[in-house]
Amino acid sequence: MSVSSLIEQVVGAFRERDPDGRIKASPAWHDLETADREVAFAETLTQRSLEAALDADGLSSTAKAVLARIQRG
Amino acid sequence: MSSLSAIAAGDARAFGQWMSAAEPRVRLSLRSFAAQVDTEAVVQESFLRVWQVAPRIEPDGKPEVLLRFTVRVARNLAIDHVRRARRMLPTDAATLDRMRDADVPPVQAPDPLLRATIERCRNALPKKPAQALTARLSVGGQSPDTTVASSLGMRLNTFLQNLSRARRLLAACLSKHGVTP
Repeated sequence: MSVSSLIEQVVGAFRERDPDGRIKASPAWHDLETADREVAFAETLTQRSLEAALDADGLSSTAKAVLARIQRG
Repeated sequence: MSSLSAIAAGDARAFGQWMSAAEPRVRLSLRSFAAQVDTEAVVQESFLRVWQVAPRIEPDGKPEVLLRFTVRVARNLAIDHVRRARRMLPTDAATLDRMRDADVPPVQAPDPLLRATIERCRNALPKKPAQALTARLSVGGQSPDTTVASSLGMRLNTFLQNLSRARRLLAACLSKHGVTP
């Protein structure tokens, strides 16, 4: 998979859970070199800002994922 | 009722409102860890832990007690991840301490024109990139990309390439309109 596709996966907010319910790192993040991880961080910052701006409640995908988890209990 | 009181009382809506303001600063507080941990996972885990312990957080008379607490949780989690993965030598403890205690930079309020401009730029995207972006936004981080791609009849790699193209075009369009997200 190309570096840009790996970065794109890392920029997404979906994360798997381990058997104890803890949030796991994206497998794609492990495949990125250091410099590309920094790029993914910067891209995520921008992306969440856009998501929050577009959402009526100002929620990014991260906040929505957390709230969904809370509401599932 | 303050946001801390509401959150401590189990008001998920108040927590959502608070998160929408706190998230950029919590994320930025992890910038120095970006090469060593998946900060998205740390940010989500930190918010979940804060929600769980909110009833036990006491105001300390200083502003932003919940934000400061969350940043501390996030940085401690990040340090745990680094140590578990042994990405730093034990002699790097001082570096970790500096990373934990670094100031949290302020975040500028969003540009009031941002939403309208994003919508305009989004409407100008080609069909496939627009579909990919809309689909990912609609799941709010709750479905893996394979599922989202499949719902659009796209292969994962095609979906990711369309997303990448959508974000690149959106950034160029916003920049053309003088908007910085």
